Amino acid sequence: MMKKKMLLVLAGVTASMAISAAPALAAGVTLNVTTTYAGEDSNAQNYKDSVAAWEEESGNKVEDSSATSDEAFKSRIITDFEAGSEPDVLFFFNGVDSNQFVEQGKVVSVDEIREVYPDYAANMKDDLLGASPVDGVNYSVPVNGYWEGMFVNKEVLEAAGVEVPTAETTWDEFLAACETIKGAGYTPIAASLQEIPHYWFEYAIYNFQSAETHNTVPKSVDDEYGKAWVDGLNDIKALYEAGYFPENTLTATDAETFQLFTGDKAAFLIDGSWKIGGIAEAVDDIENFTVVNVPGKGDRKTTDEIGGLSMGYYITRKAWDDEEKRDAAVSFVSYMTSDEVVSKFAGVSATALKEGAAPDTSEFNALQVDAIAYTASFTGISPAVQDNLSAAAREPIFADMASIVNGDVDAADAVAAVLEANAE
Amino acid sequence: MGASIYKNKKLIWVFLLPAFLFMLVYLYYPFVQNILNSFQHIKYLGTAGGEWNTPWYSNYVKLLGDAKMKTALKNTAVTIAATILGQVGIALLLALLVSNIKAGAGFFRTVYFFPIVISATALGLLFNLVFLYDKGMVNQFLQFAGYLDRESNQLIDWKAKYAMFTMLTPVIWQYVGFYFVILLTGLSGIPADLYEAATIDGGSKWQQVRFITLPLLVNSIGTCVILAVTGALKVFDLPWTMFVNGMSGTWLTGTYMYSKVYSDVDYASAIAVVIVILGVLLSAAANAVFKQKDDYQV
Repeated sequence: MMKKKMLLVLAGVTASMAISAAPALAAGVTLNVTTTYAGEDSNAQNYKDSVAAWEEESGNKVEDSSATSDEAFKSRIITDFEAGSEPDVLFFFNGVDSNQFVEQGKVVSVDEIREVYPDYAANMKDDLLGASPVDGVNYSVPVNGYWEGMFVNKEVLEAAGVEVPTAETTWDEFLAACETIKGAGYTPIAASLQEIPHYWFEYAIYNFQSAETHNTVPKSVDDEYGKAWVDGLNDIKALYEAGYFPENTLTATDAETFQLFTGDKAAFLIDGSWKIGGIAEAVDDIENFTVVNVPGKGDRKTTDEIGGLSMGYYITRKAWDDEEKRDAAVSFVSYMTSDEVVSKFAGVSATALKEGAAPDTSEFNALQVDAIAYTASFTGISPAVQDNLSAAAREPIFADMASIVNGDVDAADAVAAVLEANAE
Repeated sequence: MGASIYKNKKLIWVFLLPAFLFMLVYLYYPFVQNILNSFQHIKYLGTAGGEWNTPWYSNYVKLLGDAKMKTALKNTAVTIAATILGQVGIALLLALLVSNIKAGAGFFRTVYFFPIVISATALGLLFNLVFLYDKGMVNQFLQFAGYLDRESNQLIDWKAKYAMFTMLTPVIWQYVGFYFVILLTGLSGIPADLYEAATIDGGSKWQQVRFITLPLLVNSIGTCVILAVTGALKVFDLPWTMFVNGMSGTWLTGTYMYSKVYSDVDYASAIAVVIVILGVLLSAAANAVFKQKDDYQV
């Protein structure tokens, strides 16, 4: 009998402890968040640190599903929205990729949020937020901009007897350098044409345009922009035929070709500003790496580059309509886009901050220092034109680059297919 | 009450109904809807079909001229042949061998069945490393064996030069154990006295297999072939993990359908319809070949 009573008392104490602990758990809201701060992104660690800091400060939780930005990631986001399983907050592209969920009213505009939270994104320049192509309305709040440049493995160049390209290096000089590097037994260009041909597409067609005209989707394959796209694709084909890409560029993953670059087997890598952190993490001696202008030709100067503010934080309608989550979502985005956090993320890239970013340059590594010099050399900058294409429109080029470079598909036919799909 | 409960057939219907409704809602309704989708223009995945295509069968006309679909069908035919010969064939051989040993039969049953429990995606990643170009297991082994020149770091791009072989090796390897277990179960049902009689009559081991085992195992083999054929038609995860976007011309009907889902939803629906039709036709053909033999059921 005594034992029974003891057990009852213990059960009662345990139950009351569980009940008293419950409100503390319920007080914290869990936000589902998806970003591209993952993998080799320079800010992957900054993101984790900032999320942890916000969680501690707010008492809320973040269920993170960030992933490397590629076509699969974009598809996943679109499908999540369609299936009604979209995240509460997402860091996503503000170009055509967002059109679908913007058209369907599944994200909340900055203006609508400001009606309830007047200080939302008040530290940002509104005209740089990245208005939607659908209606010109701001839905997202950017963190940092990006640029694309040519990373160089100096050790490979030295071994091959080739000078590091400069702001004056021409396309022909670049080709000559590639030939010398190949002759020395190294891979001139680290790129996976089957997985990430995006950067090469952008610069190859840029070489037949200028900073003013690059961000224009052709109306037909025969107009001047269409011809530029065809010529650019044929240049990539010529590079492939010359053997300047890795032997397995049509089957390798981006991770494999990146390893060639960081493993001192390949000389050049065109990639985005977000890759700096990935390179620093993958190599022992960061001083062995630098970033330079992508050699140009025609109207495009070598110092005309690709860059802009192409992504931002969205709050979904689902989270906004959930009274419990609304505050947390606004608080999270406000924290992640505050001057302090943006300055930390920005590093060597542009921001939309009214006061400008103030990164701590004393902590910069050699590659980041070189990146500052690189961005200072820009004479022209254009957003990536591929951001104006829908996923379906990108497919004939990006999913089929292998067929284009090995001659199975004519470049003009691929461009025509892109434009046809984009018109639908 | 008593035995009358067994005569009341209405109760059976009550138990059958939930499963039937589940199938109706989650299989047959989407299936019919998918057929309708293949005739309509659908802008985004998950959105309802709007107007009918012009002409309404345009997706099927497009399929006829689609070079990638032709590649997918050809590769799927190769995959079906490879799974019948590779999966069922190897499984039959292994089952015959294991059924003839006394010690260690349980061990081999577990060993051969084990790949089934590994997820196809994990296997895909594993075999990506096995066939990796630089520092992959196979290339390193070939360099070590002297087949590839180690000094000049000569390598084979398996995913480009031997794409179908590279893709089908893990696909076959994964499911051999599955059919092995089915066939071993079939073998265990063959009466031992038939073999004893054959041995007394002077029948060799091969003659016993040829005239006793195979005829009595025909129903089990038929089941395996039908499963292998339908499995090959819809195989997706492992090939997609290793050969994303039909890399090196490795499109299969399943992977090609998936690739179109995000960019051309109604066209993907048409491909799905073709997969179902092929599945039904090929299953019927396999059924006809391996007709249930009632005279010697195993």
